[in-house]
Amino acid sequence: MTLTFISTPAPKMNMKATVFAFLALFSVAYCNETDDPARLLIAKQILNRYLVEDMDILVKYFFQNIGGSAALQISLKDNSFPQELFTIAGGQLNVVLDRIPPFSNVTHVVVVRPKKYGMYNFTAAEVSYKSSESASSLQWAVTSEPGEGMVIPFKDFNKKFSPHLFDWFFFGLMSLPCVGLPFLLWYSSKSKYPIFGVNTKAAAKKPKAK
Amino acid sequence: MISQAVFVFLSLVALSSAESCVSPEVSASSYYTQDGIVLTHVGFIIEFSLKCANNVKDLALVAEVDGKLLPEAKVTGNDRYQVSWVEDIKKFRSGERFVNLFDEEGAVALRKALRNGDDISSIKPLVTIAVSHPGTYQGPWVNSEFLATSLAIGVWYAAYSLKSKLLAQ
Repeated sequence: MTLTFISTPAPKMNMKATVFAFLALFSVAYCNETDDPARLLIAKQILNRYLVEDMDILVKYFFQNIGGSAALQISLKDNSFPQELFTIAGGQLNVVLDRIPPFSNVTHVVVVRPKKYGMYNFTAAEVSYKSSESASSLQWAVTSEPGEGMVIPFKDFNKKFSPHLFDWFFFGLMSLPCVGLPFLLWYSSKSKYPIFGVNTKAAAKKPKAK
Repeated sequence: MISQAVFVFLSLVALSSAESCVSPEVSASSYYTQDGIVLTHVGFIIEFSLKCANNVKDLALVAEVDGKLLPEAKVTGNDRYQVSWVEDIKKFRSGERFVNLFDEEGAVALRKALRNGDDISSIKPLVTIAVSHPGTYQGPWVNSEFLATSLAIGVWYAAYSLKSKLLAQ
């Protein structure tokens, strides 16, 4: 029984691709001598820039079959999102896929929301599958581990990314007296002497009395 | 954000095989991410249950979205299915997505058509589920700092021009 395991950090796509390619080449070379059963490489990725309390975390499970035959009855079980720490916004953490044909891939997506902030270790999910039609026992595998991530409080996130409309509104309100009061004083004195300023143009337009 | 909708479509295809699903009824719920700041991709998740008039169960379904084939995942424990995919946020466009579900016969025809580069719209799906994405939120159009600064400059300019006008007289 072998474990298919790739430990690659989620954001490094290039590295993952090379690991995939390498493993694929290796296994193809190796499998040509045998009856070529299905081999699954499973990556678990967190597609987030930031992990924020009570906001979506997009979890993607990527199944790649590098074997020569189809993988059957693929069962995915992810126990790394306990109910007391996460709510599931969309998708299912325990699913069964009927079939993954050789040299093809399948994506499964789940959206979870963390209830608390702080450091969290995102661990691997478990997968079991039948590597061929005639396989008598199930093949076990684990996904890659996204690793540790810091879930930041929603307050901190909001401080950085919200448009701060209220803050600016109150700033405007507070700076209004400094600008508005002198203007009002000037305006009231100006309207006391209507000849000055406003009516100069009107006076200039008047025909001169001879 | 979660849109619960019941889609009832009567299949137009006359299905001859006993294994096929006759007049399928789908009740679907969909979830899609709308955030563009925190996430790097847009996730679409569609969960549905399928009821056939002839009580066929454990169907092997294949979904097709934008010419891509997605096998469904069965949810363990109950009779529900899930179809999900992600789209890169940079290439993302909002609007309708049509998830066409095919049974095994349809999937074979679909694969053949895709391989030969034929038009896939001629193959009738079992059911179609429509999802409408309103678009992602990627922050405000105008920064509030920018708005406040331009407002301050505007006030200063009005005051300064008025002052110079008064002094010129």
